[in-house]
Amino acid sequence: MFELFFKYPLAAFRKGEFLFASGWPVWLLAALATLACGALLWRARTAPSRLGTRALGAVWALQAATACLVLFMVWQPALAIQSLKSRQNAVAVMLDTSRSMSFGVDGQSRLQQAATALGERVLPALEGKFRPLLYGFGGTPRRVESIAPEDLPPPAPSSGVGESVLSVLRESTAVPLGAVLLASDGSDNSGRFGRELMAEIRKYNVPVHTIGVGRERIPGDIELAEVAVAARALPRSRVSAQLTLRHDGQQDRETRVTVRDGSSVLASQPVTLRAGEPVRREWIDFGAGESGVRDLAFSAAPLADEEITGNNARRHVLDVPRRRRRILYAEGEPRWQYKFMRRAVHKDASVQLVTMLRTSTNKFYRQGVDTPEELEDGFPDSEEALFAYDALIIGSFEAAFFTPKQQVAIRDFVSRRGGSLLMLAGPNGLGAGGWQNSELVDALPAALAPDESSFQREKVKVELTRQGRDSLICRLDPDPQRNATLWEELPELADFQRLGALKPAAVTLLGVRYDRDVLPLLVRQNYGRGRAAIFATGGTWRWRMGLPSDDVRHDMFWRQFLRSLVADTPGPVRLTSDRTNYADVSRVRLRAEVRTKAYEPAGNARVTVVVTPEEGAAQTLDLRPAAGELGVYETEFEASAVGVYRVEATARTERERLGADTLHLRREGGVAEYFRPERNAGLLARLAEETGGRYWELDELEGLPGEIRFSEAGITARELLDLWDMPALFLLLIALRAAEWLVRRKAGIV
Amino acid sequence: MYSLKMRRLAAAGAALVLFVVPASQAFQFWGWGGRGGRGGDPRAWDFDPDPRAEFQFARYAYGSGEWGGRRRGSWQTDWPDAEYHLTNGIERLTAIDTAYGGKFVEPLNEELFDYPWIYAVEVGRWHLSEVEAERLREYLLRGGFLMVDDFHGSYEWASFLASMQRVFPDRKIVEIPENDPLLHTLYDLDQRTQIPGIQYLWSGQPYEEDGYTPHWRGIYDDEDRLMVAINFNMDLGDAWEHADLPEYPENMTALAYRFAINYVIYAMTH
Repeated sequence: MFELFFKYPLAAFRKGEFLFASGWPVWLLAALATLACGALLWRARTAPSRLGTRALGAVWALQAATACLVLFMVWQPALAIQSLKSRQNAVAVMLDTSRSMSFGVDGQSRLQQAATALGERVLPALEGKFRPLLYGFGGTPRRVESIAPEDLPPPAPSSGVGESVLSVLRESTAVPLGAVLLASDGSDNSGRFGRELMAEIRKYNVPVHTIGVGRERIPGDIELAEVAVAARALPRSRVSAQLTLRHDGQQDRETRVTVRDGSSVLASQPVTLRAGEPVRREWIDFGAGESGVRDLAFSAAPLADEEITGNNARRHVLDVPRRRRRILYAEGEPRWQYKFMRRAVHKDASVQLVTMLRTSTNKFYRQGVDTPEELEDGFPDSEEALFAYDALIIGSFEAAFFTPKQQVAIRDFVSRRGGSLLMLAGPNGLGAGGWQNSELVDALPAALAPDESSFQREKVKVELTRQGRDSLICRLDPDPQRNATLWEELPELADFQRLGALKPAAVTLLGVRYDRDVLPLLVRQNYGRGRAAIFATGGTWRWRMGLPSDDVRHDMFWRQFLRSLVADTPGPVRLTSDRTNYADVSRVRLRAEVRTKAYEPAGNARVTVVVTPEEGAAQTLDLRPAAGELGVYETEFEASAVGVYRVEATARTERERLGADTLHLRREGGVAEYFRPERNAGLLARLAEETGGRYWELDELEGLPGEIRFSEAGITARELLDLWDMPALFLLLIALRAAEWLVRRKAGIV
Repeated sequence: MYSLKMRRLAAAGAALVLFVVPASQAFQFWGWGGRGGRGGDPRAWDFDPDPRAEFQFARYAYGSGEWGGRRRGSWQTDWPDAEYHLTNGIERLTAIDTAYGGKFVEPLNEELFDYPWIYAVEVGRWHLSEVEAERLREYLLRGGFLMVDDFHGSYEWASFLASMQRVFPDRKIVEIPENDPLLHTLYDLDQRTQIPGIQYLWSGQPYEEDGYTPHWRGIYDDEDRLMVAINFNMDLGDAWEHADLPEYPENMTALAYRFAINYVIYAMTH
């Protein structure tokens, strides 16, 4: 339609340079136009007329516009544009042959639709003008003789649109490549189609015209788009996974999400996907079980008439290390909370509570120690001894009990070692204990009220905050409603302590209702590499004594809370991978953060990893120091075989072994294409726009061959496109004259 | 020679002396309603200790054991001086934030669960109903701690056992071994000395009835934690109560304090 009025495609106007082909100066055009307008104005004012003032003005404006338009056309407007020379350029035609192109509707696959459209409407028009270079691509492009099904490569298990285009561009540097035509559903599951790749494609200055194939919405499809869950968990701990479910959002749909470890179901719960809410995030909790490696399968039950069920499940490897995390709890006075906290984690396989309790002046009672010598001399005096713990709890203890050196070590325990600090309320704790003047003041998530009366033995009701409802620490039941009820029914706390202003990064999980206010009770924040929290009560023991003996709420809360303190505490070596599940991606990037015994970055370590696949021989790799990051080491390896890989990293210096860490990751094959099965028009449009091409729908390909020639790539010639004879200009001319006639007729002159 | 009348007078005088002196001495200790000299049910009095302390001495006010002539139940024995003296001692000798004096908690009052440590005295005279036994069992299973004291001999043991078996029909009562943390939380109590009641002052015997041998017994939970500490054939309550009585052996009072403090710290740590 555009070309019907404007003679040339829109691309010509976008890319071309406007000029007047007559060669006459533009100032002359402007002068003549002004003169014509002036003359017409003089005539309108002086010649006798029966027209009123307004009609006269309108007639003058229409006559002036007509004169200007005629002058404009006389000056011969034109577009100067680079266009591909006929028969001297090649055009790469890329057809997506990944597995997602086999999805279709009414018995015709996306691939068939694309091949038909190209074969009938595009390729014949290119014949004789350009040399078509035909490619089939999934993960990598491959030259093909024709786009007939028998000549195309088999369906690829993954697709990398960006990487395939780049590969074709690189391959074609010896060929005068004028443009790229890419027919695809836009499914790129390489995970690497980002700004860098786009910039690299743009450097070739070859316009990429993209053709979108497939439906943008697949009715009745449920996709488990993402599973966000920790890579590691403590033995017997509760793990919370966030599942992102997508559906078409057209109507309410019922499904059931399930977590399995092999054949055993760890958790399962119904989910309602609401109309108008195409993306839903759902939490599901399950037990990590004993130490070992859990090869978990998350799934959403398919609907009865669901076409694509391959995107209803995802896998995830969960590491449950054997090591029991150690928490040092220093308590300044015997009290009930101490007793009941200890009882809550008494048999916990993942947390060992090592306690030192001041029973009388300068007398300490130790529990949970590994050796008779542990804590024999009181609170650790050296960084090395303190940093051996994963978390630290300080109870009703005045700050002055700790030496300045110990206070600094506690602060560094959080910021440098990456441990967790929990401060509890008490007659000698927090503000009443003078901690607001200690070295820890910056680490704590709240300012402390400098008042001895800040600690109050008054029974208060605990309240779950919005953040608390989302936190695994406060998850007494997976169902949010039930969880809220369980919290509401808890007996009152025995006491609480007032805090000062919260720090900007603080998150409040629990509060207490007091004097119509809700005061912060459980607050935490990140500090350096670690975390610091305040639990402003010593009175949770009433939850235990006030509820039936078989009620687990008190113990569950404390277990979850204490586990959360140590779950993310790193060891001297922390090994991570760029992802935990490599679905049709084989390149694995490893990163090891290595620290000395004092948890300073270890810049001179030798770090090796042993990669052991499920089947086959193990390989040993040396990690290289990462640029600009002291103590960080990196490497990559190719996980070609499908299965679970065990990766063990060891770091040592010439003198000593610094530490080790292990992780597991899963390599999957043939699943990526099932995800995001609908057409990704956004990606295709972006690719076209960034490269100077255009995004085309399948049913509008007629204009594509004509538009291809406007390209600055390949062998081009500068072409002058006359615009003076555009139908649109003549139509405008007629319209102006007709409008003048209508004005005169309205005034009764004609 | 003395006349018959004179002899009768002398006999009556001797009888008077024999009766009045011990009676007045006993009255000096007990008064009409305890050493404070106040009679009636102490639960009606406003003697609540400071609620703003962490540790409250809570006396288990079981309903049975009324003595006809003493106008109060056996559960009140040694009250209130035992509480006053002991809580003072705990406050002085430990870091426990302790309320001065004691509370009474009744077996079926929900308030029972606000006191994770309770003390029951003269349990040879208690008789717990099924409902009371069930409530005490629930209290102990939630994490409460019961210390029983001042009962002697086989008769009182049988009486104690009858109620205790209603609380825990299947749990054994065992001797607390030397290495139990109970005996080492603050003090290392490796001497098993029988702590006598006040009767020792005039009887000269550390035991009462046929309770010749002291026993430190206990009932443990499934995690091997002591729930009930049983002081059988001894009277720690008297030792606390008479801590300020010059005649009562100071070393017994000191030992009774130490046991009590260990019990309290154990209850707050296990």
